[in-house]
Amino acid sequence: MRTLDPDAWKAFIDGLIKEPDLDVVGVKEKGRRFVFAPLENASELRLDYDVTILPPKKELLPPNEDLLLFDISKPFDVLAAHDERKKVLVGVHPYDLVAINMMDEVYLGTHVDEHYEKRRQNTLIIASDILNIPPKAFCGSLGTHTVESGYDLLVTPLGDRYVVQEGTPAGTELLEKYAESRESSAEDIARVEKLREELPSRYERKLHVDKYKWSEILGENYEHPLWEENARKCLTCGTCTLVCPTCVCYDVSDEVELDLERGKRTRTWDGCLLKEFTLVGSGEIFRETPTNRYRHRYYRKGMYLPMRYGFVACVGCGRCSTQCLADIADPLDVMNVLASSSMDDPKRLPIPEVKVHGVKQQLLVPKAADITHKEQMTDIDTLYKIRLDSGEALGHKPGQFVELSIFGIGEAPISIASSPGPEPEFELLVRKIGDVTSKLDTLNVGDKVGIRGPLGNGFNIEALKGRNLLYIGGGFGLAPLRSLINYSLEHRSDFKRITVLYGCKDPSALLFKNDIDCWGCMEGVEFKATVDECMDDDSWGGNIGVITTLIPEVDIDPDTTMAIVVGPPVMYKYVIRELKQKNLPDENIIVSLERRMKCGVGKCGHCQINGVYVCLEGPVFNYADIKDLPEAF
Amino acid sequence: MAGNIDIHVEHLTRVEGHGDIFFNSKEGKVENVQWHVTEAPRFFEAMLRGKSYVHLRPITSRICGICSIGHSLASLKATEAALGVEVSEETVLLRRLALHGENMQSHVLHIGYLVVPDLFGVGSVFPIVDINKDAVVKIVGLHRLANFMSDLVCGRTTHPITLQLGGFNKVPTVAELIDLRSRLEASKPVIAGVSGLLASVKGNLPDFERETEYIGLVDDRLYALYDGVVGSTDTGLHPVDDYLSITNEYVVPQSTAKYTKHARDAYFVGALARFNLNESKLGSFGREIAGVLGMSAPIHNPFMNTYAQMVEVADSVQDSILIIDELLHRGIKGDMAKVEPRAGRGIGAVEVPRGILFHDYTIDGIGNCRKANCIIPTNQNHANIQRDLEELSPGLVEKPEKDIELTLEMLVRAYDPCISCSTHYTKVHFV
Amino acid sequence: MKPKVAFFDFSSCEGCQLQVVNLEEKVLDLVDIVEVVSFREAMKEHSDNYDIAIIEGSIMRPMDEERLKKIRHNARILVALGACACIGGVNKLRNKWSVDDVKAEVYGNADLDGNPYFDALPTRAIDEVVAVDAYIPGCPINKNEFSRVVTGLAVGRKPKLPTYPVCVECKKNENVCVFEMGQFCLGPITRAGCDAICPTNGEGCDGCRGFLEDLRVNAMKDVLRHYGVTMDQMMKRFNLYNYKREGY
Repeated sequence: MRTLDPDAWKAFIDGLIKEPDLDVVGVKEKGRRFVFAPLENASELRLDYDVTILPPKKELLPPNEDLLLFDISKPFDVLAAHDERKKVLVGVHPYDLVAINMMDEVYLGTHVDEHYEKRRQNTLIIASDILNIPPKAFCGSLGTHTVESGYDLLVTPLGDRYVVQEGTPAGTELLEKYAESRESSAEDIARVEKLREELPSRYERKLHVDKYKWSEILGENYEHPLWEENARKCLTCGTCTLVCPTCVCYDVSDEVELDLERGKRTRTWDGCLLKEFTLVGSGEIFRETPTNRYRHRYYRKGMYLPMRYGFVACVGCGRCSTQCLADIADPLDVMNVLASSSMDDPKRLPIPEVKVHGVKQQLLVPKAADITHKEQMTDIDTLYKIRLDSGEALGHKPGQFVELSIFGIGEAPISIASSPGPEPEFELLVRKIGDVTSKLDTLNVGDKVGIRGPLGNGFNIEALKGRNLLYIGGGFGLAPLRSLINYSLEHRSDFKRITVLYGCKDPSALLFKNDIDCWGCMEGVEFKATVDECMDDDSWGGNIGVITTLIPEVDIDPDTTMAIVVGPPVMYKYVIRELKQKNLPDENIIVSLERRMKCGVGKCGHCQINGVYVCLEGPVFNYADIKDLPEAF
Repeated sequence: MAGNIDIHVEHLTRVEGHGDIFFNSKEGKVENVQWHVTEAPRFFEAMLRGKSYVHLRPITSRICGICSIGHSLASLKATEAALGVEVSEETVLLRRLALHGENMQSHVLHIGYLVVPDLFGVGSVFPIVDINKDAVVKIVGLHRLANFMSDLVCGRTTHPITLQLGGFNKVPTVAELIDLRSRLEASKPVIAGVSGLLASVKGNLPDFERETEYIGLVDDRLYALYDGVVGSTDTGLHPVDDYLSITNEYVVPQSTAKYTKHARDAYFVGALARFNLNESKLGSFGREIAGVLGMSAPIHNPFMNTYAQMVEVADSVQDSILIIDELLHRGIKGDMAKVEPRAGRGIGAVEVPRGILFHDYTIDGIGNCRKANCIIPTNQNHANIQRDLEELSPGLVEKPEKDIELTLEMLVRAYDPCISCSTHYTKVHFV
Repeated sequence: MKPKVAFFDFSSCEGCQLQVVNLEEKVLDLVDIVEVVSFREAMKEHSDNYDIAIIEGSIMRPMDEERLKKIRHNARILVALGACACIGGVNKLRNKWSVDDVKAEVYGNADLDGNPYFDALPTRAIDEVVAVDAYIPGCPINKNEFSRVVTGLAVGRKPKLPTYPVCVECKKNENVCVFEMGQFCLGPITRAGCDAICPTNGEGCDGCRGFLEDLRVNAMKDVLRHYGVTMDQMMKRFNLYNYKREGY
């Protein structure tokens, strides 16, 4: 440890500020509160602060950030926008540092987010010990009041001197270059340790339950009346998620300048409390009631993130409870109440184990691709053949999807409808529902789009080998299913009997008529179609009725048959009920679910079904793994 | 060419609000010329009844999009007078700065976007980009500076946010004021450039004079905008509280806006009135620009109102710099006077870009407004516009129809009327 | 083919159209991507041939209603500009009284019968008379939002307004909540998109952009009561811009 006199400390900070290529961001006053903001001189720095309005996460994941810059007047001109400025954060409290480390796990683990990575690499952190405690904080109960690592330097202001602990070589270098310090005396070190030891007792608010038990307690209280009681008072204003150091979800949108040429894709903080967080193109909202949204936040912090990453995503800073106008956001209050109760029916809300599938490119920058073929199938559905500019095959598995970009409009997740192969073209069936899909409809062969992918987990082919396959496709669900159907037909000998059941609204809504005709004629393939309704003058000779009407007639051997079901959200409940009537075990039912997608790689948070990311653990799921998730169906 | 001419300009363009001009002549003789105000009445004073004293400013601000700062200040002054609130010197300085920003913004808009097209013979400012791009760039730059200044002091130029009863709830920082000061200094040559341009097309203004009464705020030290007593070129100085005896509103059927009169049957308010009353109080820069434009009081050509506005832009820039220097010298503290509701009546008078504005409120013991009266500059000008049209028309009757129409339009435009403001009246006086 | 755009105003303060002019140099960009065929406040030219009609102001009189219906007939897309057009704004404050009452208060006994200029009806927002395709709310509008909606229309994107409250933008600006400073604010129930300009400048939100469709009004009332706001104060603030809006 090194010790600096107050003047030396001031000179150190001023020295950093004077560096032209270095931004110094530290804690200063704003009205009666504190914020992280650029420092003009060292006397502005207030290391005696209790807590800032927004956590320092805003310096690493800004509220608004440019991701891509593009020019829509040119065929495909897109650049990743990276923040190259070097920065040093001064005054980060231990609990915020713990939160930053959690954010690192999300953004740098599994798939690396390059924008975050660049900024993180360019940022040095001078943490500081807690001197003053805000009324609502409870760091002492969570062990986040001190840290042992994660900082470049850690300063303990003792009033008459500053003791600095070096955490990394970069920190040491910074200290040596800009500061005059001496070796800390034993007395200095003792004072620092005493300050840290006394901290937990200074926290007035105490948790009555160990944080590692939160998961279990939450699992036992999914239906506790507290959720609805509190949600009634909830303004769903999003404040709690915006001020939270461990909330890192974001939304993405495109903007174009008035000259209709230059534009950018930006990401901006989003929160699960807001109504449209789970809105999809067809208008469905998957977490609609305030109760569900209010509850979700606690489960994400206390159960889902711990299950996924191993850390409890609350650091006890007290920001949410201080700034919630309705005074219902306090995790301490909620957990203390739940700890002393438990409902009868504990819920398992597991996250399925999956092999992490690598993403083969820059995470957020789309690759250029051409439309090589466009074929209208129905009034609202069009089949496109897409070919990457690079000429290489997409390399996808059946069941995966791509994120299709039209710069200036946005991005949409589209299931891949063709089976994988060496050829560079792949097929997408697109329904005209929202902005991106409507704009795509106006494009033609030769026009360019952006492609990110393949994303998602795809079907587990190994589990299907040697089995009878029962495909059940409802409406648009036939598109991703077709990828697997054709794959299984191309590798016919790997599978036993193949049955395809397909239902849609009416004969004019039929998709993939050519494939359907083929399947109907193949040996060892049984194909049945049905329409919900049919006008008299149609030449439809097939079944009329919803898709479930086809299932009873199918001969199924429950032990050797795998059912693969894809269709609109409302369909699953009924189809699965019919399959259970046939005694099909849960683990023999495979589904593919849709949710709102933005990043497609498990960071933006929109696609969550309880703790499960549809873009990582899905979109293909084994029914046994998710049947207990309340948000699944 | 004598003959029968019938002109109806419906919804005059390049003015704020809706008004029509009618002109009929038969065989070389003017039969009828009328200025019709057709704007839908919005009944603002009726709306203020029963409203809490804290809401009078946000509501009256919405009377006008261009002079919302002026309305806000008149409203605050009237409410503060009614409640017996005294604001600090710092607040007055900042309010004067806000008013300068508005004056500049409105005048530049009027000069550059609304009047200059006529002087160049085009329909709007957009084609001027091809004729004289530099002029447009200068005008847009001045407009941007004025907006920047108002944004800084008021939070937002249209419907300001920081102007509150008793003071400002957010004040500019020292760094921001220093930055503003340097921008204002830099604007001086631009103003000189635009003035030079105006001087060069001065000949395109009709050569017309009609002496009338000119009314505006007068102060013994400053070119009055924020504070003063009511001055008239005919009758001298009057206390603000006597405003009703000056304005004397009355209804006419062709106008949803009322007319006013004082010593004569009509009077003029606005930049030209202020110039005629207060030329001696102009600073050196204002005087310089007046010189460039060949102006010296008294001026009785209403078309010169636009040019008087240019002089005021210059004066506002210089006065703003002085105010900033004063604020920097004193330090900015963010004073806020205590405001408590009580019964009372108060009158606030302020010069807004188009002339003198009065707000008069009567407030009851629990702070609700019982009566309100707002007299807008433009409706004080309607009678004068009518008289000018009547005097101007005989001289035009020999000209081609297109020219008559243009000249009549230019006359109304010269007044920079803010018609939608002027159509929400207050108490009626029958005369 | 550049879409043809026309601006119209009814009963308003014209502050919203002024924000379009306040785009400063960007106005030149704007007139590059659309053809402005009518903008009475700034242009002499006028044409009845337009694709997009942008309308500021509320409807007060039968003659205004007629004019609006004609515009709706001519336009492919109709955009309501500003609070007066979108939700009625301050113009609706007078709906508290009868039309005869306000006329008497303002014009006294003047004989105005049969004079169409003075013929008044209760104030209505534009969509209470004709169908509206896009809204740009606020008093005044936020000129960046105007840019976004217009460029959106130009590239073929349906304009979409935020469905979350002002608090989101206020927190992103890291403002000290005005409730902490002794004021009260309607931000939690008001539509965002203004970048929380009023709280950022120290004044609580008045709701000028209109309350959200998903109106958590009971939760809001609880909060206001907790902060000592009386029912009278609450209703006066609610009614400033959102007079008689359903839900409370």
